[in-house]
Amino acid sequence: MNAHSGLAAQTSGPPDARPTPAVPTEPARRGATLDVERVSHSYGGFRALDDVSLSVKAGEVVALLGPSGCGKTTLLRVIAGFLNHTEGNVRVDGAPVDRVPAGRRGIGIVFQNYALFPHMSVSQNVGYGLAARGRSRRQIKDSVARFLEVVQMSAFARRRPRELSGGQQQRVALARALAIEPGILLLDEPFAALDKNLRLDMQIELKRLQRDLGLTAILVTHDQEEAMSVADRVAVMNKGRIEQLGTPVEVYDRPETLFVNSFIGSSNLLAGTVAATGPTGTTVDLDAGGRLTVAGAGGPAGSRVLVSVRPEQLHIAHAPGEGLFPVTCRLELPVGGNSVLDLQTRDGADVKLVRLRAGAPPLGNGQHYCGLTPDARPAIFPAPAG
Amino acid sequence: MRTTRSFADVSYYAVIGAIGGLAIAILVVPVLVVLAISLTSAASLKFPPTGLSFRWYEALFDPVQSGHIHSAALNSLQVAGSAAGLAMLIGTLAALWLDRHRGAAGRALDTAFMSPLVLPMLSFGLAALIIVTMLRQRPSLTWLTAGHLVVVIPFVIRTVSASLSQLDRALIDSSASLGASSFYTFRRVVLPVIAPGMAAGAFLAFVASMDNVPISLFLSNARTDMLPIRLWGMMESSLDVRVAAASGVLIVVTSVLLVVMNRLVGLNRRV
Repeated sequence: MNAHSGLAAQTSGPPDARPTPAVPTEPARRGATLDVERVSHSYGGFRALDDVSLSVKAGEVVALLGPSGCGKTTLLRVIAGFLNHTEGNVRVDGAPVDRVPAGRRGIGIVFQNYALFPHMSVSQNVGYGLAARGRSRRQIKDSVARFLEVVQMSAFARRRPRELSGGQQQRVALARALAIEPGILLLDEPFAALDKNLRLDMQIELKRLQRDLGLTAILVTHDQEEAMSVADRVAVMNKGRIEQLGTPVEVYDRPETLFVNSFIGSSNLLAGTVAATGPTGTTVDLDAGGRLTVAGAGGPAGSRVLVSVRPEQLHIAHAPGEGLFPVTCRLELPVGGNSVLDLQTRDGADVKLVRLRAGAPPLGNGQHYCGLTPDARPAIFPAPAG
Repeated sequence: MRTTRSFADVSYYAVIGAIGGLAIAILVVPVLVVLAISLTSAASLKFPPTGLSFRWYEALFDPVQSGHIHSAALNSLQVAGSAAGLAMLIGTLAALWLDRHRGAAGRALDTAFMSPLVLPMLSFGLAALIIVTMLRQRPSLTWLTAGHLVVVIPFVIRTVSASLSQLDRALIDSSASLGASSFYTFRRVVLPVIAPGMAAGAFLAFVASMDNVPISLFLSNARTDMLPIRLWGMMESSLDVRVAAASGVLIVVTSVLLVVMNRLVGLNRRV
C-alpha cells in the first residue's frame, strides 16, 4: 500500500488527450435503481455473503471494494443473475428480479478479462446481444455503428479481439454491454488488466460515458484508488458483509471500523489508554507518550484503544509540547513532491509521516517530536482483544 | 563466441541424440521400406527392390484384377466414415456432459468411456460377436460400424474435452447476460470454440477405424470384408506385392490428411 495519500495520486499522470466522444442524445436513457435487500449466499458451509443490503440510486456509481474473498464478486454475480442467492431479494427499478434470468434483467456486464468472443469480429461482438434478441439486421447494424462510435472504436469494426490492445478490448466490451441498452452496468475489476496511464484514461472516459448516458453502475474492485476516483459511493466489504457504505471522502476521513480504516489509504495505529471521556471526545494517553483528544467514543476510562492517524495528518516538532510524542527518525524517502518519514516511537511502534519536501530540511538523527496537524481527523477504535 | 562444454554436457546430448535418432529410425524406416518395396518391378516382397516401376499400383487400381480389394476398401471407408461421424456426435455430447459433471459419477463415466483405449480390443471384438449372435443378427456393416464406434469414441471425447477446458466460462456468462438462450450460446459461442476439437477427434476416429483389425476380425465375413483383413489375407496366401502398394496408398493419403488437419485445426496441439 502506498505510504502517501491514495487521493493525491489521482491528480498526477497524463491528461486524457482524446477528444470527447460524441455521445448520441437519443433515446434519452435513464439508469435503473438497484436494491439489494438482506441477501445472503453460502457455498457449502462457507457464508460468502452475509445479510448484505445496498440501495443504489439511478445514475449513481457504487464501488464494491474489498480484499479478495470478501464477497464482492459473489455479490456482483448475484446482481447479474449468475448465482441464485440463498436468502434475500434483488430489485431493479423496484421489481424483484430474483427469478429473472441474467439476460432479462436489463443489466450489462463488463467482465474482468472482457470475455470478448474470440472467433467474432468487433462488430459481431458488439451486435451479439441484439442478434440474440432477434433484432433486425438493420437495427443491429445501426446500433453497432452507434456504440462503436461512442467508444471510439469505429475504425476497428472488422478486427478480431486478439488483434486489439487491452484498452481497445475494454472499449469493445463496454460497447457490447451498452448495446443492449441496460439500465445498470456492472463492471468486474474493469481496469485491472490495464497499465497505469491507460487505466486513468479509461477511468475518466468510463465516468464520462456513465454520466452522459445516465447509467447506474456497480464497480467491483480491490483497488481503492480506482474505487475512490470512479465511484460516487464506496461499499467496503469484508468477510461477506458491507463494513461501511459512504462517499469516498467519508470512507477515507471517517472510517467506521478498524478494517475500513486499515484497508483504505494507509494509516498509523497508535495504541493507548482512555484517560477520560467528555463531550468533545475521548482523551487518550498514548503508549508512545503524549495525550490526545479524539472525537468519537473508544470506551470507558481505562479501556485500551487504537488511535488511527493518516500519515499526512502528522507533523514534526523539534521541542516537546502539548499532544506531542517523542520519535526517532529511521529513514526519509523522497516520493514525488513529498517525503515519507519512517519514525519509531519510544514503545517501538512504526509511524509513517508524509510532508511536503519543499522547505523542510532533512531530519537528522536524535530526538524529535511528532503531533497531529490542526486539521487532522484521527479515528478511535476499541483495541481488538488479544 | 566460444562456449565451453563440460564432458557431462557433451555425453548428455550424445545419449539423448542417439536415443532420439534411434526412436525416429524405428518409427520411420519400416514405412520407407514398405514404400520402396511397393515400387519394385519384381513379383516378390523383397528388399531392396530389384527395379523401379508402378506396375503394382496399376494392378491395385485395376478393377478387374483387384475388385475384391476395392470392395473391401469401400466397406472400410463406409464403416470408418459412419463410425467417425457418429463418434463425433456422440463423443461431443458425452464431452459436454462430462464437462458439467465433475463429480464421482462424471469421473466414473469418463473412465468407462475411455476404457476401450486400454482394454484388450480382441476381447471386446469377441464380446461384440457373442452379443450380435445372441441377438440373432448376422455380421453386417451396421454391426461393424457399431463395434468400431465404441472403440473410436474416446478419441473424440478426449479432443473435445481438451477444447472445452480452454473455453472461458466468462464467455458463456457473457452470452447469457447479453440475452442469449442456452441453445443460441451453444451455437454461437461453444460450438465455434470446440469445432476444431471435434474435427480433430473425428479425424483420429476415422484413421483408427480404417486401421482397426481386432473388431473387424470378429465382426466381418466374406460379404463385409474390411481392407486390413483383406490385405492380411493376401499376405498369408500369396505374398502379393499389391499389399505393399495398398500400404503405400494408405501411407500417402494419411500423411496428406495429417498435414491438412494440422493446418486446419492444429491437431498436434489437441491430442
